[in-house]
Amino acid sequence: MKKLLSVILTLLTASYAGAQETPFPFGKPTHDEFELQKYAKDTTANAVVLREFGTAYISTRTDLSLVFEHHVRIKIFNEKGFNQGQVSIGLHKNDANVFEKISDVEGVTFYPDEQGLIRSSPLDPKQVFKENKNKYNDLIKFAMPNLRNGCIIEYKYTIESPFIHHFRSWEFQSDIPKMYSEYLARIPAVFNYNVSLRGPYKLTKSTGVVEKECYNGGGGFKADCSAMTYAMADVPAFVEEDYMTAPANFLSAMYFELSEYVTPYGVKHKVTQEWSSIDREMKSNEDFGSQLKKKDFFKDKLASVTANAPTPLMKAKAIYDHMHNWFRWDNIYGIYTENGIKKAYEGHTGNVADINLALTAAMLSAGIDAEAVMLSTRRNGLINKLFPVTSDFDYVISKVNIDGQSYLLDATEPLLPFGLIPIRCVNDQGRVMSLNKASYWIDLKASVKESKTYSLLLTLQEDGKITGKISFISSGYAGFNKRQAIKKSSSLDEYVEKIEERWPRMKILKSEISNIDSLDKPINEVYDIEITAFDNLNKDRIFFNPFLMDRVSENPFKLAERSYPVDWGAPSETRVLMQLNFPAKFEILSKPETVGLALPNKGGKFVMQLTQEENILNFYQLTQLDKSIYEPDEYPYLKELFNKMVLSQKADIVLKKKI
Amino acid sequence: MRFILAAVAIITCYSVSGQENYAVSAIPKALLNRAAAVVRNSEMLIEVNSPDDVTYREKKAITILSSAGDDEAEVVLFYNKNRQIKSLKGIVYNEFGLATAKFAEKDFRDMSAVNNFSLYEDDRVKVFRPAQITYPYTVVYEYEIKARQSLFFSAWEPVSSAGVALERSSLRFVCPLTFNLRHKEINYSNRVEENREKDKKIYSWEVKEIPALRTEPFSPDAEKYMTSVKLAPESFAYRGIKGNFSNWTEFGKWMNDNLLKGRDVLPATTVRLVKDLVRDIPDPKSKAKKIYEYMQDKTRYISVQIGIGGFQPYPAADVDRLSYGDCKGLVNYTMALLKAADIESYYCIVNAGSFKKDVAPDFASINDGNHIILCLPFRNDTTWLECTDKHIPFGFLGYFTDDRLVLACTPDGGKILHTPKFSASENRQIRKATFKLSENGDLSGHIKTLFEGTQYDNHDILEGEPFKEQVKHLTEMYPMPDLDIQTLEFKKEKNIKPVTVENISFSSRSYASLSEGRMYLSLNPLNKEKRVVPDSRNRSNPVYINRGYLDEDEYIFDLPEKLKVEFNPRNTIINKPFGKYSATVTVNGGKVTYHRVMQLNEGTYPKEQYPDLVKFYQDIAEADNDRLVLKLL
Repeated sequence: MKKLLSVILTLLTASYAGAQETPFPFGKPTHDEFELQKYAKDTTANAVVLREFGTAYISTRTDLSLVFEHHVRIKIFNEKGFNQGQVSIGLHKNDANVFEKISDVEGVTFYPDEQGLIRSSPLDPKQVFKENKNKYNDLIKFAMPNLRNGCIIEYKYTIESPFIHHFRSWEFQSDIPKMYSEYLARIPAVFNYNVSLRGPYKLTKSTGVVEKECYNGGGGFKADCSAMTYAMADVPAFVEEDYMTAPANFLSAMYFELSEYVTPYGVKHKVTQEWSSIDREMKSNEDFGSQLKKKDFFKDKLASVTANAPTPLMKAKAIYDHMHNWFRWDNIYGIYTENGIKKAYEGHTGNVADINLALTAAMLSAGIDAEAVMLSTRRNGLINKLFPVTSDFDYVISKVNIDGQSYLLDATEPLLPFGLIPIRCVNDQGRVMSLNKASYWIDLKASVKESKTYSLLLTLQEDGKITGKISFISSGYAGFNKRQAIKKSSSLDEYVEKIEERWPRMKILKSEISNIDSLDKPINEVYDIEITAFDNLNKDRIFFNPFLMDRVSENPFKLAERSYPVDWGAPSETRVLMQLNFPAKFEILSKPETVGLALPNKGGKFVMQLTQEENILNFYQLTQLDKSIYEPDEYPYLKELFNKMVLSQKADIVLKKKI
Repeated sequence: MRFILAAVAIITCYSVSGQENYAVSAIPKALLNRAAAVVRNSEMLIEVNSPDDVTYREKKAITILSSAGDDEAEVVLFYNKNRQIKSLKGIVYNEFGLATAKFAEKDFRDMSAVNNFSLYEDDRVKVFRPAQITYPYTVVYEYEIKARQSLFFSAWEPVSSAGVALERSSLRFVCPLTFNLRHKEINYSNRVEENREKDKKIYSWEVKEIPALRTEPFSPDAEKYMTSVKLAPESFAYRGIKGNFSNWTEFGKWMNDNLLKGRDVLPATTVRLVKDLVRDIPDPKSKAKKIYEYMQDKTRYISVQIGIGGFQPYPAADVDRLSYGDCKGLVNYTMALLKAADIESYYCIVNAGSFKKDVAPDFASINDGNHIILCLPFRNDTTWLECTDKHIPFGFLGYFTDDRLVLACTPDGGKILHTPKFSASENRQIRKATFKLSENGDLSGHIKTLFEGTQYDNHDILEGEPFKEQVKHLTEMYPMPDLDIQTLEFKKEKNIKPVTVENISFSSRSYASLSEGRMYLSLNPLNKEKRVVPDSRNRSNPVYINRGYLDEDEYIFDLPEKLKVEFNPRNTIINKPFGKYSATVTVNGGKVTYHRVMQLNEGTYPKEQYPDLVKFYQDIAEADNDRLVLKLL
């Protein structure tokens, strides 16, 4: 056996000799690279990747493993680019036996010294640190020595990974621009990957050659490789913007997803290609489908929960109520259970899959048509629907179907009402996994608008004070946010105090908050207030700004233009209704003009109106954003809408003493 | 036989803990007020077996009354190679004091504990958060940690956060008769109890029934009003080093002789380079400046903390070779460079941060301080250097380390020194602007701002950025609608008293709003007070203002002919012991001059003045929003 192994090793070394050649030599920057003063295509760049080369291939040395080599040369123009010299490389691990290994870490800095001569300074291997970050991640960290303005840093490393299902993706784009970035993927014909390119830029090079019998699986089993080269030149820096979803959705990168492979014994493994096979796999998966089948576990536990619920909908609500109050989520995402639903239920805690598969199983045990929905959260990015792979998904929720109506449920949040999923889940589409049907896509949307209504019934008193009642009604995510704020306070009194603190000159005399625990209903706050608005009313003219509530004093959008969509997750609506009674000795000299603005394509509107009836002013304001996503070409309109809101809210009501 | 004994021991333990009453009803009513959590009982035992063998045992029971107290239920234990967790377990009780769940070390999440400013550190942490969904509940846990050093002990802080009340908490410190403990009680009303038992000394402290505190803005350092006990050894062992100190003089000497000495060796080429660098410079201070700037240019801040490296700098030769280091490494390197030019300097330990904190002058401990700066003891001209910033001017410390006591480690021992203080009027921001208003409400003009003292780096985010990035930052700093920056000049006058100068020309579309023949012109577009100071009743702390400053703004608006001033807000002038504010408007034909002064005076003021401070900020917020009403003719 030992002999055989060494034979294979020799063979391998021979057959992979070609792979050792990197396309650019290490530690030999060119004259032009030394001379480069700034990057002409982006003169604002603090640093630029001059050249970058990566390659990945399946090694068969002992066991199947995926080898990834990375080599990069970066020019640093000024010290704002020094962060490029602080490198952190993530390694995955499962346990003490299955983990990624790094080797051949090498680095060098070329810098101009005090006399302007170019010197080189190697990376000290003793200054390369391995941080055992947590159970699943290690970090390799190092800082390149001797960074100066105009220096060139170069480093390379090799990672050997047992996770062959995760063929390394390649990011052509990063936070600094790249002049040239190339990736060589050498894939033996026994592996079949689906390859996809994300992002707006085109490949400048895309070639493939067949390498004869490059792969030796042992025992005389050989296969050809396709060596695919992908390259991009002049890739701009990726700049993150506010209100956007995962950068991975927009970043230019190449992704590889294993669809099938053949073992050296000729056995074909289909990893993922068609939903039918995923369905089969998930249904029988120990940490997914099998968990859903454990519905009997809940039978006796739910008897009392559903005892007073005659209809299926009431039953479902009762179960949801019970389950989302039962669990304390450990903040870990995933589509596979960590503890299994039984242990999770008994321990009151678990990851997303533990909790939501338990919810689904509980629903099933009560005879309700329930399915699990796999999804990718906003921070995880979008799913590649052409080549489905389960590793794209990082979250699972539950879907129940009652009387032709379906409801999406997530029991990780005790404060969300039945049918509303957390905003992190509102990301395009999810895949419904049923125990007895083929899987299918479903839109992930907030089931209700984020809605806020402020009503104010106020009187301006002779002594300059404004007294009256104000009420806030919040539903959808607005209600959720309110409930979270209340929960963070140690008592309701403290919550009310915090509100009072936010409004200078306002005193809350009495407060009443209802529906805190009735999650299906909007949360309703009513406050009796007193505002010390004016020291007295012995003035000819009084200026009063009616925008007491929901005032937008600054435009949240400051960029002249955007490259990526504004994504709010849910449409929203805010209404302000105010009635102000003022002393009869005053009349209105002027008031803010009526405003009515609409976004194109029914995107939303802003309406503001003030009417007068004797000594009563009626004020109405509506801000409606009807879309959850606004594309970059809609951005100027959105920005202008906010500009106009800010502007219109500056105008006062002018009261004049009658003569 | 052994097994039986063990079993008996376990049962005994269990029944002892079982006797404790963790029912929520047993908490004295007075402690429930404003509390999100109540420490029922905490017993900390520190036992010095020998200088390199110290055991920490804590048993703590804490009741969480509402979700606001959940963070207090989190069990967090730091450890490293020199500090190992020996045992760790706990039980969760329900409202009635009945055990509902157990947890052990395997239930903890284990992570590296690397500060976000560091590249690497060797500390780790174990964290556990009980999965509890109904309130109230009680978490009881106990652990044992073995530390192989007696150089430092954690301070005892029975209550360290707001919203937490305390029933009972105690600390016992047990050591051999030969071990001398130094201890300092802060806000501790009793005296330490000292006992002897055979060959051991036992010190005990205890506090009972402390109601929950509220967070109060403008409070002094928590150490000024919360109970704590600081501990330190006289003689100790640490990672193979033995030593002793009982005051700062001895500490400084020990530090110098053990951790600094010999770390300043530079390669001969570097020594020659330094000598060449300053050869033609006559006076030592100018030499020092030249060397400091050389160091700033060459190095950058990278923090790596491993083992004793948390206290000891990288050798100067390493920093010279790598061109990076942490505060210790860079200060030690600068010392070495200065030494090559025969300039003496001191390695100084400081508590860095915007909030000023002294090194405790009467209690020497290696726990004090979190940063290192350099002191040049020129005769009558003591000069201070911050060595981790590539741009800070020579001799200038800024708000990170100003006005506080620091410890200088010198060959003659430690010396307490005081860093320079900036007065309110030295921390100046002076702005002059001229604006032109158009008939449709557009505004354009020039703004010139000078930043001085601790305000010197207010807008440093602009420094070294390309114009496009600077514009992005400016639109955040000056939130005017559709702000268009035409030109920006941002320059630094780097003296011992440095000044930053910012010059902008800009335009803003629809700055003033027009409605029914009136235009509303906000007079203060550039420097609105954003701080909201909440009203609070029954304040317990005095009002503390950490650092004073002075802002002065003068804006001249040029109005179009068609607009006449209809309403002119009254002038606001406020004078208080802790600060002054004035905003005045003068109309002179088509010219409106707005003048604003805001000064805050540092100091401690009686708590009775807090409502005045609230009103001060309210009035300012209002006055800053003053608008001129113009009528269209």
